[in-house]
Amino acid sequence: MSLSGNYFAGVDVGSLAAKSVILKDGDIFATGLVPSGVNSVESGLNALNIALESAGLKQEELTYIVGTGYGRVSAPYANKAVTEITCHAKGANYLHPTVRTIIDMGGQDCKAIRIDQDGAVVDFAMNDKCAAGTGRFLEVMAGVFKVELKDLGAIALSATDTVPMSSTCTVFAESETISLVARGEKPENILNGIHHSIANRIAGLFSRVGIESDVFFSGGVAKNSGMKNAIEQALKVTIVKPEIDPQLIGALGAAVIARNFAKKEGLWA
Amino acid sequence: MSVKTLDVIRKRLEERPDELRRARENGLKVVGWVGYNVPEEIIHALGFIPVRIAVGGDDRLVEIGARYASSKTCVFIREIVGAFAENKDPYIQQTDILAFDATCLQNYRAAEVIEYFFKKDVVVLAVPRNFHLDEAKEYFAHEANEFTRLLEERAGAPLDSARLAESVALYNDIRKTLKSIYTFQASKNNVISWEEVYDLIQAGELLDKREYLSLLTQTLDELKERQHYPVIASDDGDSRIFLSGSLIPRGDRKLISIIKSVGGRIVGDDLWSGILPHLDLDIKEISPAGVALGYLNRTPHAALPYLDLESDRRLKKLQECLSQFKAQGVIYHTLRYCDPFTFKAKETKNVLAKSGIPLLEIHTEYAGSDYEAMKTRVEAFVEMIKIKSEIAEEQSVLVDA
Repeated sequence: MSLSGNYFAGVDVGSLAAKSVILKDGDIFATGLVPSGVNSVESGLNALNIALESAGLKQEELTYIVGTGYGRVSAPYANKAVTEITCHAKGANYLHPTVRTIIDMGGQDCKAIRIDQDGAVVDFAMNDKCAAGTGRFLEVMAGVFKVELKDLGAIALSATDTVPMSSTCTVFAESETISLVARGEKPENILNGIHHSIANRIAGLFSRVGIESDVFFSGGVAKNSGMKNAIEQALKVTIVKPEIDPQLIGALGAAVIARNFAKKEGLWA
Repeated sequence: MSVKTLDVIRKRLEERPDELRRARENGLKVVGWVGYNVPEEIIHALGFIPVRIAVGGDDRLVEIGARYASSKTCVFIREIVGAFAENKDPYIQQTDILAFDATCLQNYRAAEVIEYFFKKDVVVLAVPRNFHLDEAKEYFAHEANEFTRLLEERAGAPLDSARLAESVALYNDIRKTLKSIYTFQASKNNVISWEEVYDLIQAGELLDKREYLSLLTQTLDELKERQHYPVIASDDGDSRIFLSGSLIPRGDRKLISIIKSVGGRIVGDDLWSGILPHLDLDIKEISPAGVALGYLNRTPHAALPYLDLESDRRLKKLQECLSQFKAQGVIYHTLRYCDPFTFKAKETKNVLAKSGIPLLEIHTEYAGSDYEAMKTRVEAFVEMIKIKSEIAEEQSVLVDA
């Protein structure tokens, strides 16, 4: 089968998931999402192949591919590599041109990004090298309560109280959580406290770059409704609702950038 | 981009530890100095061989240093302490006397720790906090005289005015030549890179001063022959980065190599391990106090308090350098527990934002574990500058049309 049009792909290989988005001319045409494996080349290709398969395309029919995420450094299938900071900016701007601030919470890091009307990065800050405030942190907490990661936010939202969590270090927070459970605190109240503790840490990141409406929440953790709620309270903002899976925003931005590069290099008019 | 004299300098550096050993066997003494306000001319004029003790980038030595200094001490100082504990660094091995200044109080603590644990002969120059006050200058002049007296005791002879004048003239020539060379690295079609000039500056911390001046002069002649006049312009398509913040000593090239690897071009710095100490040093009087006051009146180290943001000389110098070297963004390097620079990062960022210069703070230490995270930040910053330049270029084309 041969399809008419120009196709551009973005592949975002993160620490926990690999994502892909294919644009047909200017529209989202197909997406792919798989858990990341040890081999980041393979993970990226797996995500890309899922999108290609659902689009009925072959890789050679793609005009341009941009790789992003930590796996961008080993993405032989990509024409260019761009950082996830630039890609999240472009992705959010593609969906909502009025967005000026992005919170990106991924598997191993968290970013505060300020952008302009064109989706260009104006300023950004990232968490330090520890896992506090990341998807990995929440994964560890889900393990402590023996619940699914995807259910964590809903459980936190059912809380009647907020049990303060003083530790931000993943290891210390885990032992503090176990102590709180032993003290008889309700799991939902502890989880609520954990979400607010992370949100307050994120507010610290924004003290370095500032906040301007509209605010967008991207990355795998953005699927967590409890986290969204806690961040809205900590930053005193309303987060705009994404039309697509927020975990795909980096790959979407990479696809938008792929289209721009193709145009610049005369591969697409 | 190869400058031939640089190869000669690299070779001379390899030979230098042995040369120092032989000089000591012939009765000369080596003074290892650590700090920002140590008046090196006085050490030189007393007949000592001055070498700067500045090592970095080795996490193993940091861990060793932490056995003697608090783990909340900055990694640079911990590494220096660790290097003394290990005693394998060729320059530390050849040091007879140590001269520290107390500009940064962590430096002062290192002097105490090294004297106490490793039984080294240490001389410390006190530095006033409120350096801009007349009383502080008077105090510092007194301390410089005392510092000289302690060194005279160790030299076994008084400081000779004529020899001090010769040393000051020699160091002035070195500074002047370095500044000329520095302009070339920032220019269009440059034949020498900032990285090469940075290594060249740090070579001067170790080599014999007369030979160093001669090598600098040769380097400058070579540059003039190949490039004639350096023209500094921001329209060369590079992402022009200025490096500021905590020092980056010999052995620590993590951030510098990251900037280069992601396509950034460093065009200037105001590091105290770089060009900054060589700028604006005006010695008005040939005396220990005159030399020391010349040092104190330069752009101050961040460990000394701010005056106010409007009149702060460090910020003013930074802005002046950004304009001179046509920098498009600042990467502000802070070492873990280097409080003087870390605390000033946000203020510096806010001040520069007013003139449209973005600043990225990179907070790091000597472990390699944050390499990829640093790379992502630096790469995104370079992308940000490139995109900004492209937009500005497109807009100027539209205006011209």
